[in-house]
Amino acid sequence: MGRKRITYEYTHDGIKESVLRHAKSLRLPEGWGEQVAERVANATDKWIDDKDMVTEDDLRNFISRELDEISPDIAFAYRNHDKII
Amino acid sequence: MSDLLSIATIVLAGVIQASLQLSLGGLVLLYHSSMGRHKRRKTRYLAKSYIWGASAISFVIVCAGAFVLRNILGGPIPQEWMMVAVGALMACALVMLLGYFRDGNGTELWLPKSVSRYITRRAKSANDDIEAFSLGMLSAFAELPISLVIYFIVANCLISVRMPLVAALLYVAIVAAPMVALKIGIKTGKNAIAAQKWRIRNKAFVKLFASSGFVVLALFVVAFWVM
Repeated sequence: MGRKRITYEYTHDGIKESVLRHAKSLRLPEGWGEQVAERVANATDKWIDDKDMVTEDDLRNFISRELDEISPDIAFAYRNHDKII
Repeated sequence: MSDLLSIATIVLAGVIQASLQLSLGGLVLLYHSSMGRHKRRKTRYLAKSYIWGASAISFVIVCAGAFVLRNILGGPIPQEWMMVAVGALMACALVMLLGYFRDGNGTELWLPKSVSRYITRRAKSANDDIEAFSLGMLSAFAELPISLVIYFIVANCLISVRMPLVAALLYVAIVAAPMVALKIGIKTGKNAIAAQKWRIRNKAFVKLFASSGFVVLALFVVAFWVM
């Protein structure tokens, strides 16, 4: 029996909120966190624009790469928060 | 058996248990997810409840174990059982060295994926003290396959000391020490990700430390409790 495929609707605000949560947990200044989250969400909007469907892994990889350039600390948190236990 | 020897065994067992990573990892995760969603004050309360939960379950298990050993099984356990415990300690040493952490550059543990996903999900959605307290209890429970033999030895020591309650509290204080240290670190301005980076950098050391701790405890038990 194959695994059930789960799909989600992509939202700009969802990406922004996710990045912002990591920024907050790193105690970065809120304004800076907002700016980073907005930039990443805008870049993701552009990247995803011509695609019908992407996997969660692809989306995470793209966001991590974007974050690497702007804030390596948030990128580390974003990449590793599921690998703590 | 002298009080001093029993206390030394309890301290050694406490240090080994403190080096296990599930409760600490759960707390790092709780801090990280809570600081992104709540005010600092609330995060502090959640972390405090988590530490109380993990400590309370350790306290209850060793006290219940001591009660069962003394009142149901009739006193300190026979040497044959201690030899079984020594075998289990050596097996744990091997597990710590070879299979405790999953491969990769994170600090994922040997737990079944469903358990770690459940704990992760609970940590990310913990909103009040009761949830954090039960998450602490759950993390201590989930590590039982490794820590059960330590509890067993501590319980056996507790029934031979003059002040078992004080000894049990000492044990729990040692077990909670890394979590309290993390809490103090975060209170003084560090964040959970800095703690996680430290855990990743020192993963090999933690493995070696815990593994050799199990071997030392096994030798200690053989030398002073069996022979």
